[in-house]
This record gives sequence, C-alpha cells and structure tokens, in this order.
Amino acid sequence: MKYIFINIWRVFVRELKMMFARPLYLFASVGVMLLSTFFFLTLMKGGTAENMPIAVVDLDQTSISRRLIHEMQATPSVDIQLITNSYPEAREAMQQGKIYGIFVIPEDFYSDLVAFKRPQMDFYVTNAYTVGGNTAYKQMLTMVNLTSGAFQREVLRKKGLPDDVIMHRIQPLAIEGHMVANPWGNYSVYLVSTILPGILGLICLMLTIFAIGFELKMRTSHAWLRAAGGNYTVAMIGKLIPYTLIYLILGVGCHFILYHYAGFPVYGSTARLMFGLLLFIFAMEALGITLIGLLPTLRDALSIGALYAMLGFSLSGFTYPQMAMLPPVRALSYLEPLRHYYLIYVNEALMAAPVENSIPHMLALTAFMIAALCVSPRLHKALVYQNYPLK
Amino acid sequence: MIKAFINELYRIFKDPGVMVIFIVATLAYPLIYKAIYWNEQITNVPVAVVDLSNSEQSREFLHQWNATPDIRLTHTCTSMSEAEQLLREQKVHGIIYFPRDFANQLADPLGQAHISLYCDMSSFLYMKAIYLSCNNVMLESMRNIQIDRYEQMGMDKEFAWSLVQDAPYTETALFSPTGGYGSFLIPAVLMLILHQTLFFGICMLGGTAREENIDQYSIRSLIGRSLAYFLIYFGLAVILLGALPRLFDLPHIGSFWDIVLLIVPYILAIIFFSLCVSVFIRNRESGLVLLISSSLIFLFMAGISWPKEMVPDAWWYIACCIPYTHGAHAFIHINSMGASLATTSTEYIALWILTAAYFLLACGLFYIRKKKLITEN
Repeated sequence: MKYIFINIWRVFVRELKMMFARPLYLFASVGVMLLSTFFFLTLMKGGTAENMPIAVVDLDQTSISRRLIHEMQATPSVDIQLITNSYPEAREAMQQGKIYGIFVIPEDFYSDLVAFKRPQMDFYVTNAYTVGGNTAYKQMLTMVNLTSGAFQREVLRKKGLPDDVIMHRIQPLAIEGHMVANPWGNYSVYLVSTILPGILGLICLMLTIFAIGFELKMRTSHAWLRAAGGNYTVAMIGKLIPYTLIYLILGVGCHFILYHYAGFPVYGSTARLMFGLLLFIFAMEALGITLIGLLPTLRDALSIGALYAMLGFSLSGFTYPQMAMLPPVRALSYLEPLRHYYLIYVNEALMAAPVENSIPHMLALTAFMIAALCVSPRLHKALVYQNYPLK
Repeated sequence: MIKAFINELYRIFKDPGVMVIFIVATLAYPLIYKAIYWNEQITNVPVAVVDLSNSEQSREFLHQWNATPDIRLTHTCTSMSEAEQLLREQKVHGIIYFPRDFANQLADPLGQAHISLYCDMSSFLYMKAIYLSCNNVMLESMRNIQIDRYEQMGMDKEFAWSLVQDAPYTETALFSPTGGYGSFLIPAVLMLILHQTLFFGICMLGGTAREENIDQYSIRSLIGRSLAYFLIYFGLAVILLGALPRLFDLPHIGSFWDIVLLIVPYILAIIFFSLCVSVFIRNRESGLVLLISSSLIFLFMAGISWPKEMVPDAWWYIACCIPYTHGAHAFIHINSMGASLATTSTEYIALWILTAAYFLLACGLFYIRKKKLITEN
C-alpha cells in the first residue's frame, strides 16, 4: 500500500515536470478560459438587445405623416436610422445590414385617415438576423399600437369622454408577461451560464487527451508506466491529479464569477449547481480518456474530441430547444455531457426544482466515468505495446 | 513556386489528420447542423392552464390559442402551485392564468381584464413561441370586445369597426419565408466552418513542418502553399456556399456568381490570416487550442447571433480584423437577403483590404522568421 502512494507521488512529480517543460498547452488552456470569461461577460453587458435601427418609408409626405414620424422618434425604444420616400432605398439599406425593419406609411395616409378609410401600415422585418429582426419587430408593433391607440383616444376625446374611461376602452384586455427565473429577459444570463461551462468542458477534454496522447506520440509511455511501478491505475491517477486540480480550480472560479461576481441568479441550491459543474468536469475528463482509449493516436483523438465537444453547444438545446429536434438527434443529445449539465443548471439555478429532477442527469454524468473505466484495458495495451502510428 | 505548390498538395493529401479537417469535417459538419435544426421552428410548446374564472370567454380564448401551431395546452390545473410544479419539472414551458374576475371585468364596460402569462426562460425560443402567439390571439379578441363596447356606447357598428381598425397593418418577414432558426444560423455556420477548418488546417500543417524542420518561410513557398490551399478551398466553398443552401432548402435568393466572386477574397484573406498566425505555431497540435477557443468568440464577436450594434466598440474593432466577420455578413446579405455584390460592397472591399494586409504581414513575418533561422544555424 505504501508503495502505491510513493508511486503515485513519483508519477505526479514526473507529470509536473512535463507540464512545465511544455507549458503551452497548460497556459493556453487556462488563458483560453480567462479570455472567454472576459469576452462573454463584456460582450453583453447590457444583457438585452434594444434600439435596433429601422427605416421609415414615408409615401404620404404630409404634415400628419411627419408628425407621426416625429412621435415615433421620441419613443425611447425606437431608433429610426433612415427616413426616406423610396421603399427600394430602405430595402437596400436592409440588405446592407444597416437596418432590421422597414415601416411604411402609405400614400394617402392623411386623406384616408380623415375620411375613416382605414389606411394600412405595412412593416417588414428581416429574418436573416434573428435577434435584430425580432427586436425590430417588437419595436414596430409598439409603434403601430401607439398610432392606433392615439387615434382612438383622439376620436373618443372629441366625443367628450374622460381619459380614464378611454384607457379601458382602448385596452380592455391586457397580458401580464412573467419571465420565470430571468425577469429581465437578460440574454447574457441565459447564454453565458451554459457557454462558459461548455468551454471549460472543452478544455478539460482536450487537455486530458493531450496529456495521455502525448506519451503515446513521444513513445514515453514505458517510462510513465515504469514510474508507476508498472501499475496502470497508479499511472493514470498520478498523471491526472495535477490536471484535475487545475480543472477544479477553473470550475470553482467559473462558478464563483458567474454566480457571485456577475450576480447571475440561482433560485435553487448553489451547492448542487456547483456539484453538477464538478461532475460535468469529471465527465469531460472521462470522455477524454475514453476517446484516447478508443483512438490511441493523439491527433485523431484530438480532432474527434474537438468536433464532438463543439456539437455539444448545439445539442445541449439551450439555444434551439431539444424538443424541436428530430427524434434520433434528440437521442444523440444525451451523449453530450453538456446536455446533462444544462439540465442540472435549469433545475437548480432557474426552476429550484426538487433534487429528484437533477439526479438522473448526475447519474448520466457518472456513466461517462464508467465508460472511461471500460476502455482502460484497451488504453493499457496501447501504452504497453505502442502499436499505433506516431502522428 | 510551382514546386512549393505541388509539395504542399502532396503534404495535404498524405496527412490523414489534415484531410479529416479539410474534407471530412468541412462536409460532415453542415450535414450534422442541418440535421439538428431540421424542423427550423419550435412548435407545440406544452403549456399549463390555470383558469379560475372558468368562463365562456376564457374557454374561447384558450380554444383559439390552442389552435395556433406554436403551443399546445397539455395540462389543466386547479391552482398556480400545481402549475408551477409542472413548470419546475419541465413538463410544461409556460403557464397561462385567468384570474377569478376575468369574465366580470370583460363584461363591465369600464373594466380591464388581465391574463397572466408565465414563460420558461431556459430557452428564449420557448418565450418567443408562447408570448407572440398569445399576444396575437389577445389582439384579435380585444378587437371584438372593443367593438362590443363601442356599440354599447351607441356608436353604429360600421363606425366602431373602423375605429378599432383605424390603423390596420400587415407584417411581412422578408427574405426567408419560414423564418426558422436553421435558416438564420446555418449560413453563418457554413462560413464559420470554412474559416475555422482552413485556419486550423494551415496551423496544423505549419506546426508539422516546423516539427520536421522543413524550410517553409520563403516568399516563393508562401505563394505556392497559398495556391494549394486556395485550389482545395475554392472548390469546397463553392460546394458549401453555392450548392448546399440549394440542396438543403435554406435561403438562397442571391446570385450564384456573386457568391463565387465573394469566395475569392474570403478564402484568400483566411489563408493569409492563418499563415500569419501559423508562424507562431510550434507544434502540430497547438492550433487546436486556437480552433476551439476562437470559434465561439469569432461567431459572437461578428455580431450575428448577438446584433452587431450591441457589440462593444473594442470587440468590434478586433472583429473587423477577422475575415469571418465581413465574410459572414456579406454572405448573409447576398445569399439570405438577395443583395448584389455592389450592395454589400463595404464588406467586399473590407475582405480585399484584409487580403492585402495579411499578405504583406505574412511576407514580413516569413522574412523575419527565415532570417532568424539562418542566424540560428
């Protein structure tokens, strides 16, 4: 027993020396995490997209259409970038990505209005840019309702009705929207909560593959096993301890930055959320071992690992919900550890759900670790026989 | 120069790692993304109902709402806490709540009735589906109520109708008829795949050559190698950008030849950009760190998922130095919005400027590198 600890210590010290002899991977990984954290937290500081630029096409060109435009400009959430009397001009501005919506005031707007002939407004939004287009759509909807409401109010006032009575005639039915767990509709909270752990998982995966695969590439796996007294388990434990420590520091740091420094809300248990993140990190590390075990060539395992983990961002379903995917794709999504972490995050941070809802996903993350144990015999053989191509 | 060109082609085709990235990843990734976003839109989002008013009006509202494709009323609950439990367990992604006085408020000519809507924010698309469809149903029924009330006030029906319809409007989503998530994201992802695989491949080849001490830093080699990459990627880009949107039924209203003309500076700018970066790459695998870290950052910095107007200036200036930013916008303008090359000239010219700038920078870096190697030897 005593020898086992001595051997683990020997492998650990050997690994530290190797890490500092080739610091690029290590520093790059930690650097990437720091850069990504800084990037995503500063990119969406406001958290919500507003004031998307739009164009108004004024085909009427009367005093009343100009007054309408003037009123719209005074509305805080509306940013009119272009006022023109030519629709093609506005359309071209949209094709150039300068505006996201076009609001058309029709010809004869004024004369129709006076004659109660229901002039029709048209508005156009681009859906080549989803967030920009949606925001512009909401703005223009507000503009139409403003015009509509203002007009009814004028007519009713002329009929001599008091304002509070008018208000309820114009708006007899109202929807109160409640955005559960993210009452500000903050895009940053929504996006960064899953993207940053995802990037961290990617780093865990790549660095683990690299740490093991590098021994195969450099044909140093015999020296590694020798330091471990020929024991595969000791060799793996000693090697992975320093990396795991780094991952855990990054994981706790990431958690701390998101939920303490940036103040992202956690409605459920912070401890279980953090536990989920740590399980996710171990699962990605285990996935790295599985991949290098199945493909004991450094570059193959790295390439496949990168492709696999990048898909996790889409398959986890945090942008495009999993329920909208095709059934086979939905099944595949469970092979992504990030999918399970995302669901634990939803349960713990957003829904404050009972722990039973998170447990299946915690077990699924554990299954990735069992998978890594299953490929161990194969990886062990690869370390002993070095029977795979070098590059 | 021709020797360097042939040599590089030989090295690419001999190197299975590079071939996987250049050919397999480039062609497989679009298929996978298309499969993920196949349905384009989210439909039938499950919603729970808490109807305390239990009135004809609320039932009529629910009936109309349930008929929209966006949502499906799956659970009827007797209390909010029951519905909240369903939301917590993610069995539903929204709750609609009618208060007890809903029908009375509607019947009262001075009343205002309220509906409460609770949306699951774990994905913004749930909220969009629930909120917009409910809002549309609400506007429709509101109009009928308004007309009733005006009639009660003694207006004639025709006048009441014109009053509530005083500013009717049509809304048109331009360019992509389905307006789905895939139609929006996949064109941007296609450009990113080209950018990142070429970027990574070049860094990988540069790292390998450096591990094997191959002299690669002459200007002749720079041009020859660039030609080799260009040859392969021009073909790939025509397939990805020209053919795939047509095959995949994605937006493709742009001119094919404009896209071909766009590909030229886009690929060239990426090649010279990557060659500049590759000078600093010492190992074959190092490029991978760049690949994984830069992909998401490039995508978000370019202002595609997150509108470019909302990207902070400092990040935007950096984004302008990356070929992807201009390439992706130009491709979306042409392919998805039917712009001509002249219309999107700002981005097109920017790509040529980047091509020239990175070419000169690459020449300079290669020259410095070569000098250093000579003095080292």
